[in-house]
Amino acid sequence: MLAVIGQSLVNGLMQGALVALPALGLTLIFSVLGFVNFSVAAQMTVGAYAGWLVNSQLQWPFAATLPVAFLAAGLVGVLTDRIALAPVRAHSGGQAPLMVAVVSIALNLAIESALRFSFGNDLQSYDVPVTRDFRFAGLLLGPQELLNVAIALLAAVALAVFFTRTRLGKAMRAVADNADLARLKGIMPNRLANLATFIAMGLAGLGGALLVVTTNVDPSTGSRLVLIVFAASVVGGLTSVPGAVLGALLVGIAGELSLLVISPVYKSVTAFLAILLVLLIRPNGLFAGISAVRR
Amino acid sequence: MLGASPRFAQAQVQDASPIRIGLIIPLTGATSQFGASMGAAAKVAADEINAAGGVHGRKVEILIEDDQSNPEAAVRAAHKLIDIDKVVAIGGSYASAVTSAIAPLCWESGTVLLTSSGADSITKLPHQGYIFRTSPTVTLQGTRVGEFAVELGGKNMFFLGPQTPFAQSYIDIISAIFGKAGGKGAGLIYEDKKTSYRSEVDQALRANPDTIVLGGYVPDTSVVLKDLYRAGYTGKRIGFSFGVNPAILPAVTGEVGEGTYSLVPSASEKSDAYRNLLAKLNRSSLDSYSCQVFDHVALTALALANAAPGDPSGAVVRDNVRAISQDTAGSLIDSVEAALKVLSAKRKVNYDGPSGPLDFAENGDVKGVFFRYEQIQQGKLALVKVA
Repeated sequence: MLAVIGQSLVNGLMQGALVALPALGLTLIFSVLGFVNFSVAAQMTVGAYAGWLVNSQLQWPFAATLPVAFLAAGLVGVLTDRIALAPVRAHSGGQAPLMVAVVSIALNLAIESALRFSFGNDLQSYDVPVTRDFRFAGLLLGPQELLNVAIALLAAVALAVFFTRTRLGKAMRAVADNADLARLKGIMPNRLANLATFIAMGLAGLGGALLVVTTNVDPSTGSRLVLIVFAASVVGGLTSVPGAVLGALLVGIAGELSLLVISPVYKSVTAFLAILLVLLIRPNGLFAGISAVRR
Repeated sequence: MLGASPRFAQAQVQDASPIRIGLIIPLTGATSQFGASMGAAAKVAADEINAAGGVHGRKVEILIEDDQSNPEAAVRAAHKLIDIDKVVAIGGSYASAVTSAIAPLCWESGTVLLTSSGADSITKLPHQGYIFRTSPTVTLQGTRVGEFAVELGGKNMFFLGPQTPFAQSYIDIISAIFGKAGGKGAGLIYEDKKTSYRSEVDQALRANPDTIVLGGYVPDTSVVLKDLYRAGYTGKRIGFSFGVNPAILPAVTGEVGEGTYSLVPSASEKSDAYRNLLAKLNRSSLDSYSCQVFDHVALTALALANAAPGDPSGAVVRDNVRAISQDTAGSLIDSVEAALKVLSAKRKVNYDGPSGPLDFAENGDVKGVFFRYEQIQQGKLALVKVA
């Protein structure tokens, strides 16, 4: 039984670490721009397809595909934000966060449809060999999965360093904290909005690419995960960088552990329950207050 | 008479509105592998019917709706086809969840539903004769897979599949066959649309199976196959044609998919009807489901042509399908065009299509189906046997 629990923990951590990247993106945009951008799901798919194009079609090595996934999703993210979301932000007054969130759902559908139009419905696989797991301390571990987790955590640490050590990062936190005050200090919230969107969607794209390396990409890849990404972000308090990562790990582990007691058909229920419990008990998130982007 | 004189037929068509046949097929989503070819096959059928002068001088028009592999979208599509377009029949209807959802709308409105779904529950619905199923049932497919697995020496079976109207039936049927042969069986039903099934696969492997039956559609089956490989599973894997088909091959290359079997309902591959359809679609082979959708259109048109000219309706189609598909007194014909000509000469027809002989039992299930047993060998689906 202990081995079973251990294996579930490992599986959950591996899933959670990858979900952490888009959850970080969602958190970053919410912190700096003040709304939940659901198009993060489609940007995961954009990153996944960008990586697939250069890896499988152009035969680039796996490592080289990751910056491409980041860049592609980041750029598409900024572009679509400028076209679809920025005008709504500028004109919808007091209801802005809700309005923009709703428009971002539409944007998500539009991007997904554009991907479907371009790449079709077929499943696409990365040109990365599938290897048998190795056994370590009674647990089955996959080399590619371990590498993915390491890359995801590295990206999260890089983001934390960016926020605490760089001028731009600090400026972003200032805007997140109080946009008007930041403007008085000479920080341009608009330019920072673009940068925040670029980084956030880039992270989502990177996460998307890592998620599909071991599986497949199709136009709905990101949409299938949007609930769990959102749950991770909410559990983490929506404004905390470590919160998003811990939230993702928690939701991932909860999903896998739940299989020990409930039928696998109801796995997604754990994500809903996580959102519900957090909103009922700690509406600011389980990890609110620790290193929030917005203090 | 009409068919023999195209010019006369055209003159008639100009002042008669077309007879509409709806198609609800999966063009997007998890079950969409055959959607495009289903639509293309249906159009070939309509073209052949119209080239022969249509039905009682009226052209046949195909209206295609995408079910998005989603019952809710399918219900919206069915409402549109029935309420707005006034179709006499709806064909296609592939995923069992989709068919189960739209079936009540069809029989309540007196619209014939021709389906290529497998779940046994569908024809057990109180459908008043409005449902015709051209695909083998889950019971039949499960029995064949179970018997084949036992034949391959399987003793301990585990079923892995998503939540569908047929998942539990598969577990029960195949487990019973293993039980009778002195082995045992169990199963696990998972949530579809997941990016990983590691913990589900781990759970399955704890039962130490030597045979795993894959009951999913292509996207989830490809992930399950990869996770089985990673987890070190080396036993037998058997899937169904809706999960293990050419669309899955690029996703399970190398050892991951190699050796996996698939049970595929066979089209009537030796028939002229099948070869004719291939030629018109410019293809070297075609799945059974697309052939079935061709026949959904053909059966509807021939049933209407068998009845007296008048107001075409679902009830007329329902009451005439068996008369043109399985009347032993009728002449055996496997071309829609030829069948229309014979019918217009007031003679009887026994139509056999590219999908098979099309004889229906009392409950609407098709009889006399053959299967292809295929296996992934060196990255391609190779034929093991037909039975």
